[in-house]
Amino acid sequence: MNVARALAGWGINIAIALTALRTNMMRSILTTLGVTIGVLAVILAVAVGDGAKISVMDSINSLGSNMALVFPQPENRGARRVVDRGRLTERDAVAIQRLVPGVSGIAPQLRSTVQLVIQGRNTTTTTVGVTPDYGRVANVDIDTGRMIGEADVRTAARVIVVGPSVATKLFGSFDPLGQSVRVNRVPFLIVGVLASKGSSFGNDNDDLALVPISTARQRFASSATQGPDDLHVLFVGFDDGIDLAEAKKSMVRVLRARNNVPKGEISPFTINTTEEFMKQSGLVTSVFQGVLVAIASISLLVGGIGIMNIMLVSVTERTREIGLRMALGAKRSDIRNQFLVEAAVLCVIGGSTGLALAAGLSIVLANALDFPVVVSMSTAVGAILFSACIGLAFGSYPAIRASRLSPIEALRSE
Amino acid sequence: MPTVNNVPLLETRHLVKNYVLGGETVHAVADVSLSIARGEFVAIMGASGSGKSTFMNMIGALDLPTSGTLLLDGVDVGGLTSDQLAVIRNENIGFVFQQFNLLARTTALDNVATPLVYAGLSGTERRERAAKTLSSMGLSDRLGHTPAKLSGGQQQRVAIARALVTEPLMLLADEPTGALDTVTSEEIMNIFQRLNDDGITVIVVTHEPDVAQYAARRILFRDGRVIEDAPVTDRRRSS
Repeated sequence: MNVARALAGWGINIAIALTALRTNMMRSILTTLGVTIGVLAVILAVAVGDGAKISVMDSINSLGSNMALVFPQPENRGARRVVDRGRLTERDAVAIQRLVPGVSGIAPQLRSTVQLVIQGRNTTTTTVGVTPDYGRVANVDIDTGRMIGEADVRTAARVIVVGPSVATKLFGSFDPLGQSVRVNRVPFLIVGVLASKGSSFGNDNDDLALVPISTARQRFASSATQGPDDLHVLFVGFDDGIDLAEAKKSMVRVLRARNNVPKGEISPFTINTTEEFMKQSGLVTSVFQGVLVAIASISLLVGGIGIMNIMLVSVTERTREIGLRMALGAKRSDIRNQFLVEAAVLCVIGGSTGLALAAGLSIVLANALDFPVVVSMSTAVGAILFSACIGLAFGSYPAIRASRLSPIEALRSE
Repeated sequence: MPTVNNVPLLETRHLVKNYVLGGETVHAVADVSLSIARGEFVAIMGASGSGKSTFMNMIGALDLPTSGTLLLDGVDVGGLTSDQLAVIRNENIGFVFQQFNLLARTTALDNVATPLVYAGLSGTERRERAAKTLSSMGLSDRLGHTPAKLSGGQQQRVAIARALVTEPLMLLADEPTGALDTVTSEEIMNIFQRLNDDGITVIVVTHEPDVAQYAARRILFRDGRVIEDAPVTDRRRSS
């Protein structure tokens, strides 16, 4: 009985609210617009933030999900750098593979910027000198042709595997396989084309070329390396289920021992794991999202104040109706609920409109920015609930004021 | 449902209502003791400022007395909370106002059903009872009309239906013909007389002697006191 009464009461209150809102159609639409814009802004802020998170996670995952990156830069503790340049060699890489448990593969690399030329066309790209394991460790697949092989590395062969962007720039829609390309004036044979990895944050992941590491060392060795087997970077892949934090400690021990770094001295190398990237960028994107949402919330707050304002007007205009309802037996709580529901209905209509607009705009934005903008189900449900709460919060003062009216004075008002 | 017993429908003992207006105490109702039985048709008369409206607000459970006792169906209204008063108004009192006070843009049916919302009835039950009561007022073909599409007399009949729909102990009408022409006024007063003949207690507050003539008993207020309380000798009966 009580439940039935309560439900009947809310149902009738929604009907009363809709009638009242229809009566002042223009005013209701304008008031609703404030909430619509506020909810739209908040949802888009959340969606852009979620999109940024997904984008960052994707680009980290595209590196290979369980991986460590070793750089020959001294680790940066505070602003203090003990040595100017660190060292990382192929022998270090082999030692890591042998001594650190759980390593599934290593990909030592030498990177340099080169010019690729074919009959009048040219492009500048990054060549990566790699070993055969590179594809597996760095999570890169071959689209056509083959990967850099063991024999290529052994013989320092002049073979090259190009990324899809490089292939398109040089050959358009023609098949580049088996063609010759001049790399810094030296002719190379194209033996493979990589599968596309798309782009992240405007960075084209397909704009690169692979050559054997031995060839890179012979032909493009830059000033960045000192010794005969120095590396620019080393990717270390790990088996699934390996604790990357433990693996990192183990790598640090191996490398410090090999470089004879005394206790207390700073390591001449830096190791980052994908796990750390995830954590760091998760934090950064959360802060980014928080700031966006905080700014967007201001417009929602303004929308809420608009609701309160219009509800106060509504209560004043309908004082006589309130008096009549009290005379007919409405309790204070009945009057209060009636106006609370009215405010909530306004806000939910505004919130739903804002949600619909946000869903549409997110598709437009995602296309325009080449960046995922995601309105998730939880964002949608949250937005509707939140706008109802805005209505209840900003509607409560006018509603309580209405419920405290004296029935006689309310009936007497014009 | 009202039960037949010897308790007066309404009894006041030394009823007093004071207002403080601009630092001065106004004795709106000063020491009124009277009793109204079930089935009576009473006209409460007096000039404006005589205290009749204040008296009506108190017997309508819209306002509480400053001192004295007010018994409605034997229940002392004096110490009740605003929620308890709301229940009494809902169950026991049917109000009819001078300006009809119908909800605009709301159908006659929904207007009449409104008190039943606060009584906690289901939608079907509300509509059934409202339709039945409107039919008894001869408005069965006007259920879906909004007040703007009804004449003054029809609007007041809708208002009377709204007052009756909860089957209250009494109808309390405040200048019910004040906004109507002579012919329609007669029509409305005839309805009150008919309802009274059916056993419903009717209390009409008015300053028009013509209207008071339809009642069986006349109570005259002046300066917050009852100066005359007598049967109507020259009563008008509908033909």
